Amino acid sequence: MRPFKVIRPTNEKEAMEQVSKGNASYLAAGTDLLNRIKEHVASPDSVVDLKSLPGMNTIEVTDQGIWIGALVRLSAVSSHTDVLSRFPAVCETIIHAATPQIRNMATVGGNLCQKPRCWYLRHEGYSCVKNGGTGCWARDGENEFHGIFDNQICSATQPSNLAPVLVAHEAVIEIASKDGVRELTADQFFIGPSSDPLREVSLEEGEFVRRVMLPESTRAGSWAYEEAREKQSFDWAQASVTLLLDRGGRKGDHRVVLGAVSPAPLRRSDIEKKIDGSDDEIAEASGIAGAGATPLSENGYKIPMLKGLIGKAIRSARSRKEG
Amino acid sequence: MEQQDHSAMEHQQVFKKLSVNGEPHSVGFSVHHSLLEVLREQMQLTGTKHGCELGECGTCTVLIDGQPVLSCLELAVECEGREITTVEGMMIGNDLHPLQEAFADLGAAQCGYCTPGILMTAKALLEENPAPTRDEVVSALAGNLCRCTGYHKILEGIDWAAAKMRGDEDFRPPREAIYGDPLPGEEPSDA
Ligand SMILES: Cc1cc2nc3c(=O)[nH]c(=O)nc-3n(C[C@H](O)[C@H](O)[C@H](O)COP(=O)(O)OP(=O)(O)OC[C@H]3O[C@@H](n4cnc5c(N)ncnc54)[C@H](O)[C@@H]3O)c2cc1C
Ligand code: SF4
Ligand code: FES
Ligand code: FES
Repeated sequence: MRPFKVIRPTNEKEAMEQVSKGNASYLAAGTDLLNRIKEHVASPDSVVDLKSLPGMNTIEVTDQGIWIGALVRLSAVSSHTDVLSRFPAVCETIIHAATPQIRNMATVGGNLCQKPRCWYLRHEGYSCVKNGGTGCWARDGENEFHGIFDNQICSATQPSNLAPVLVAHEAVIEIASKDGVRELTADQFFIGPSSDPLREVSLEEGEFVRRVMLPESTRAGSWAYEEAREKQSFDWAQASVTLLLDRGGRKGDHRVVLGAVSPAPLRRSDIEKKIDGSDDEIAEASGIAGAGATPLSENGYKIPMLKGLIGKAIRSARSRKEG
Repeated sequence: MEQQDHSAMEHQQVFKKLSVNGEPHSVGFSVHHSLLEVLREQMQLTGTKHGCELGECGTCTVLIDGQPVLSCLELAVECEGREITTVEGMMIGNDLHPLQEAFADLGAAQCGYCTPGILMTAKALLEENPAPTRDEVVSALAGNLCRCTGYHKILEGIDWAAAKMRGDEDFRPPREAIYGDPLPGEEPSDA
């Protein structure tokens, strides 16, 4: 691996100063960053280890919701009794992510800030709009696993399994910045290439995620998470559907968020409206899955795949409610 | 494209105490080295294997504070103060661990490259869950690839070891796991 220095800041201000000096990156568990350094697509001269900061490794349960520190490991979230009982969809999306070993290592903050898995972006021989060059190799190249929505500039999809469920729950992302702490909703946090092709999340220079809050007011009456992937053992989703029904006890307050089909998680209020308890809700909701899609040469299969997943999600959320 | 210039970068060297298999070791290494590199190259603990180096195969699995993690994606410098267990630490005194014994008796290893990682993952599973169902074993092993065995004997070996560890000495793996399936119409023979 290309050599780098490891810097261990003792407070947030020092972390922000150190990362803004020269060619530095934040390090959480490193399962994505070290992977990119080994593949020669990231080459920081130093890494600023967020794990040396105090207070970011706890889960705090309050009346408003559950705060999850950015350094909490994915496996610690999915096995936490309060998260399991109040936000089970979050746990379900995590156990579909990566492998048991990686879930024991990977942090929540790192999961949200990992770089996309486009194979051109992850190959040192290719330059495109996403790494400061021009054009997109996937457009007319190998694009089987790329996005079908909002894919004109860049069709790499948001790789985080947590991202769609955080949007569905309107999670709050708390960010440490030079002027203190600021908050964004998950929906504002994840951005597409038209805002800035170089970033997938709206963090400014030096900023980092401190913690994430799952609001009590969006607890689901029922829920489902369905994803399709090539390998059952572990794999990236080819498409996923997160469905929350009757959030916060409000009848008809549903959320449908699609994953792995667009650069940022895609909320589909048109599909939400079709989930009305009528006999043909499944046909109606899944029928419009492909509305607005612009599939590339090899990924048109994602439209029927989404239709199937939406149907499955509705059936499973409805039976969970009754059962 | 940026040229990779390894020589120009100054290596930040550290000297750390790592606790491996219950024993403290003082080891010097560069801060960008993975735990896998330090175990194999500085400490000559070559039981832990390197495969993909990218988190995809699981053969580098070790336990840190009892949990299976990938030593290829863990920086050694981050491991100070944590208890590291490798396959070299599996034996109990002079005896093989029941998992090692079951794998050897059943032939659950062919080339053996995946074996250390699978043993570590299975050890952590059985310590947490002494009687896992087949589905639980399969989920726990989802991150460990084996390109030889087809997994069948590995799964049977884990069931057998779990039984031994629960004190169930009468448990026997199914016949077909030992001899292979009999041909249609043929009685299995002991030969
Ligand atoms: C084989 C394999 C399969 C995988 N499959 C999946 C999958 O199916 N689903 C899925 O979701 N993920 C998957 N992953 C990705 C994995 O979940 C991520 O690598 C992991 O979550 C990253 O967390 P980390 O703590 O290791 O982050 P790091 O690697 O330490 O950091 C990742 C990036 O985020 C930045 N960063 C880290 N923490 C913060 C913070 N608090 N604030 C701001 N920036 C930060 C770092 O600078 C870096 O750029 C897979 C990974 C592998 C290797
Ligand atoms: S899909 Fe995005 S990341 Fe991949 S080659 Fe095109 S522009 Fe680059
Ligand atoms: S060598 Fe670590 S996962 Fe393959
Ligand atoms: S025995 Fe060869 S890879 Fe598993």
